[in-house]
Amino acid sequence: MQKKILFPVVAVAVLAVMLAGCAGSKATGTLQFYANGEDFVRQGFVSKDGWSITFDHVYINLSDIAAYQTDPPYEATSGGDIDPAATVAVDGEYTIDLAEGDENAEPLLVAEVADVAVEHYNALAWKMSKASSGPAAGYSLVIIGTAEKDGESLDFTLNIDEECDYQCGEYVGDMRKGIVAENGTADVEMTFHFDHIFGDGDLPADDELNLAAVGFQPFADGQDAAAVINMTDMHLGHVGEGHCDCGCQ
Amino acid sequence: MRGKWYVLVALGVVALGLAAPLPVSAHGVNLEYTSDVTIEITARYDSGTPMADAQVTVYAPDDDTTPWLTGVCDEEGRFSFVPDTSMPGTWDVQVRLAGHGGIIHIPVGGGTTAADGVGGFTHLQIGLMSACVVWGAVGTALYFSRRRKA
Repeated sequence: MQKKILFPVVAVAVLAVMLAGCAGSKATGTLQFYANGEDFVRQGFVSKDGWSITFDHVYINLSDIAAYQTDPPYEATSGGDIDPAATVAVDGEYTIDLAEGDENAEPLLVAEVADVAVEHYNALAWKMSKASSGPAAGYSLVIIGTAEKDGESLDFTLNIDEECDYQCGEYVGDMRKGIVAENGTADVEMTFHFDHIFGDGDLPADDELNLAAVGFQPFADGQDAAAVINMTDMHLGHVGEGHCDCGCQ
Repeated sequence: MRGKWYVLVALGVVALGLAAPLPVSAHGVNLEYTSDVTIEITARYDSGTPMADAQVTVYAPDDDTTPWLTGVCDEEGRFSFVPDTSMPGTWDVQVRLAGHGGIIHIPVGGGTTAADGVGGFTHLQIGLMSACVVWGAVGTALYFSRRRKA
């Protein structure tokens, strides 16, 4: 009698635990991380002080990359640390050439993480750190290009060794990003606005962007990039048109 | 024989517990109201300059990817709309102009709706829990019936 009762009891208990576990399993998808120097890098532009700049290479070294689901949504303008409900982290460091490809090139895939939870990843963080190897070894940002003005042509290389932490809210652009559906692929984007460093000749001289930018003339005059550029003030990192909280040292 | 009665009583208790609650007749009051909530956005640059003619995109809580409404700010950077209050939750409003933009998250309404099932459990989980309770009741009844026979 005891055996007749014991076996079915154990069988039901085991089955209950297994099925309950299956019923609770979460759906997953894939999240891709992109880097984008925008048309300013791919097509060149005119600086606030009239230099026509084209870029051969823009090496940026990225690490500590992570996307987050936050609720309430993280507001970069308020600053503070991101308090995530879910995290997708990318291991390692990546040196990306933002000028790679032709003038119509797409944003560059940095990393892809599979089997991430189905969420709307509405915050993004990364570090611009000194590269341990490769074309930007020892620097976090290396800009190589040519600047022309009034018949004068200058080949230049600007090396930045400041390391910056960027904490950003949701991507702002034509379409929303970071929305992972079951068995689907979504993407998030680290966007870099180089007009913040050189200014934009298409904007008025007293435009806020141009007032904050250093332009190109200091480099044409032979000044060192590290002495001229304060990366915290440049606000280089964005998420599309969305802002990031930035700290550099 | 008595053991069978214990089993039947146990099953009866469980069945009562799982049964749907009976409607209660009372002198209740049913109140309803409608209200239109107008949300007004004011968009400015850090300098305080209004984002005149900025593009506005509104997303409702039930669809993160499809714009519910699009429009343009006026010369003072203002944009207003009336959300559908039958969709409570966070309404996301994106504003963009000349390479600058932001997104604001606005709670509308309150409370949460129950998921399918009760207390957030799926029907499968409820079924499994019920089966476990039934089995436990049966086992207990059989245990006590054997003790009396001994």
